Amino acid sequence: MTDTVEQIQASHGKGMTGRLRFVLFSGVRKKRENHVVHPFRVIVEREIGDQIRSWRFIILILIIALTTLGSLYTALTNISEAIKPDDPAGSFIFLKLFTISDGTLPSFIVFISFLGPLLGIGLGFDAVNSEHNNGTLSRLLAQPIHRDYIINAKFVGYLTVISEMFFALGFLVMGIGIIATGIAPSPEEFLRIVLFLLLSIIYVAFWLNMSIWFSVRFRQPATAALTGISVWIFFTVFYPLIVSLIMKGISNPAWVSNPSYQILLEKLKLGLMRFAPNVLFSEATGTLLMPTVRSLGPLTMEQIAGTVPGPLPLGQSVLLIWPHVTALISGTVLFFVLAYVPFMRREIRSR
Amino acid sequence: MSCSKKFVKRFIISLIGFALLNASVSAQGVTLYTPYTKIAVPPGETINYTIDVINHGNARKNVDIRVSAMPQGWTYDLKSGGWNVKQLSLLPGGKKTLSLKVNVPYKVKKGTFRFKVIAGSQVLPLYVEVSRQGTYKTDFTCKQTNMEGTSKSGFTFSTELKNLTGEKQRYALQSAAPRGWSVIFKPNYKQATSVEIEPNQKVNMTIEVKPPHSVQAGTYKIPVRVVTNNSSAALTLEVVITGNYDMELTTPTGLLSTKITAGDERKVELLVRNTGSAKLDNIQFLSTKPVNWEVTFDPKTVDELGPGQTAEVYATIKAYKKAVAGDYVAKIRARTPEVSSSVTFRITVKTPMLMGWLGIFIILVALGSVWYLFRKFGRR
Repeated sequence: MTDTVEQIQASHGKGMTGRLRFVLFSGVRKKRENHVVHPFRVIVEREIGDQIRSWRFIILILIIALTTLGSLYTALTNISEAIKPDDPAGSFIFLKLFTISDGTLPSFIVFISFLGPLLGIGLGFDAVNSEHNNGTLSRLLAQPIHRDYIINAKFVGYLTVISEMFFALGFLVMGIGIIATGIAPSPEEFLRIVLFLLLSIIYVAFWLNMSIWFSVRFRQPATAALTGISVWIFFTVFYPLIVSLIMKGISNPAWVSNPSYQILLEKLKLGLMRFAPNVLFSEATGTLLMPTVRSLGPLTMEQIAGTVPGPLPLGQSVLLIWPHVTALISGTVLFFVLAYVPFMRREIRSR
Repeated sequence: MSCSKKFVKRFIISLIGFALLNASVSAQGVTLYTPYTKIAVPPGETINYTIDVINHGNARKNVDIRVSAMPQGWTYDLKSGGWNVKQLSLLPGGKKTLSLKVNVPYKVKKGTFRFKVIAGSQVLPLYVEVSRQGTYKTDFTCKQTNMEGTSKSGFTFSTELKNLTGEKQRYALQSAAPRGWSVIFKPNYKQATSVEIEPNQKVNMTIEVKPPHSVQAGTYKIPVRVVTNNSSAALTLEVVITGNYDMELTTPTGLLSTKITAGDERKVELLVRNTGSAKLDNIQFLSTKPVNWEVTFDPKTVDELGPGQTAEVYATIKAYKKAVAGDYVAKIRARTPEVSSSVTFRITVKTPMLMGWLGIFIILVALGSVWYLFRKFGRR
């Protein structure tokens, strides 16, 4: 973090020596020879640099890249079986690359919904507390910058890394898919994939902000990391069990034969399940990448009567998952606020 | 004296003549016999006479046979034993049968005609009474000139064309059918525009008539003619088209899909077309639709629609408020007791944007709170 401090000094023109200038990226220096770089930008660039050089990030990206390639391989070997005649989604072959699997390895979207939280937690759990513990935070704050630049820059920097990574992975899958299958995605398929990548970024940002909040809340990075991971495991493993326990407890066997009671129970179960962000994410990605999905709740025969199986237009798919997207974005913002307020109010002393 | 001498002389001559005459009858002794010496026939008839030639004498006789005074235009054939005979030789007491075939022409006047069969000195006069005025023309007939069917049937008339003229004729086959009708002549089972017939020969000809596609119910006359340069014959065929009922339901553009936001309604213009040949009364409109959808029609019924006419109907389709987004099928049917027609609409249901705006509002509130925090805490 000392580098960051020096850069800020450099960018403000105070003590602008050749040695300090050298710290700046050469590309940035060339572009901004006669221009004062905004300090926020410098912090963001520094955060990005710190992250992509860290072992933690390299390990995480390796895990995700390997699983991605694995799922892509299974998708490519099974795509010929996945294409059926008279399939209403027959025109969306390319999207199947992201969704199909033969059972040995999960599909791409399952991997993303599983490993995305790990990435978010892994990037953010020591964002604030490690700087605090190392004493760099007080040095940073001694510079003439606004205090919220630090936490904002951390969030923006991590999000940039995640976005670039996801877009790189998504386009890698698309590119390999085009080479392997010889099928180019249609504009709608491309848009759906891009929206899926944006959704994945929002989803990881949700966990990232939660993790940053823990890093503000807990002094020890280990505590923050464990808390984040336990929340993640709670939602992926225990929460479904708890929900099914609740459902078992409240369901009345006398009324089970009543269809409207069953629908009510099913809706209640779905409503409870949707408190889990991973459920929201998997429902939303499923709808985006499988255009034939029409509804995310239970459907009665009454509603199905007279329907023609066919893909939904992109706008309708987005409208269907819009509540999910809203919930994820709101959760992301909420955790950011939760992290932001205590960070701003905290008294930071140098050790 | 001279007077008496003259008388005697005359008497002797006449006596000798009488004796001679007697001698010739007895000497020749040949009789021609046929039972039908006067018959009545229509023009164009062929008469077959059987004439017996009998030798009453005691000697063998050779007699010349001929027919004389045959009216003009009449032809005959005199045969015996398969041969055209000119002379017969008869044994004493022998009898020979001649057959005489006389063709009465068509072009003949009414009246009695006479001709003779002469055998040696024997003359057999024969009389033929032509019962009516003969013609010199073509005979074109059809036993059943009236047929009934629907607009989709074909009508096949069997006709007979006779050349009653004395010469070979080449007939051009013509029809003056109303517009749109197809008339095909098939003499000898082959489609043709002309036919050649020998005199006194006939040809069986079928005439195939097809009504136009959009023919209205009614009786139609189809005049057909056979024409040569000097003769013609005409026939009027009659086709009765019974009304058929047919109806088509469609939209003006042919587009059978539409989009509806759930809970909204959409007006669809429909066209009912009477493609049959009979009037349609009281056309009703029905719909098969997804549950809780509503389809209303304006007007509810079409009271009357003539053949070929088109009526506009507006169907208002109202999607169920809670319909799930996606494609639906609604079937709209126009119905009369006689016939019905239906169209299937593919309706794409969209969900209302209300929830979307609510979501955007929530996100804006969240981002607004962050902005408020920036303002409150950030710049100090």
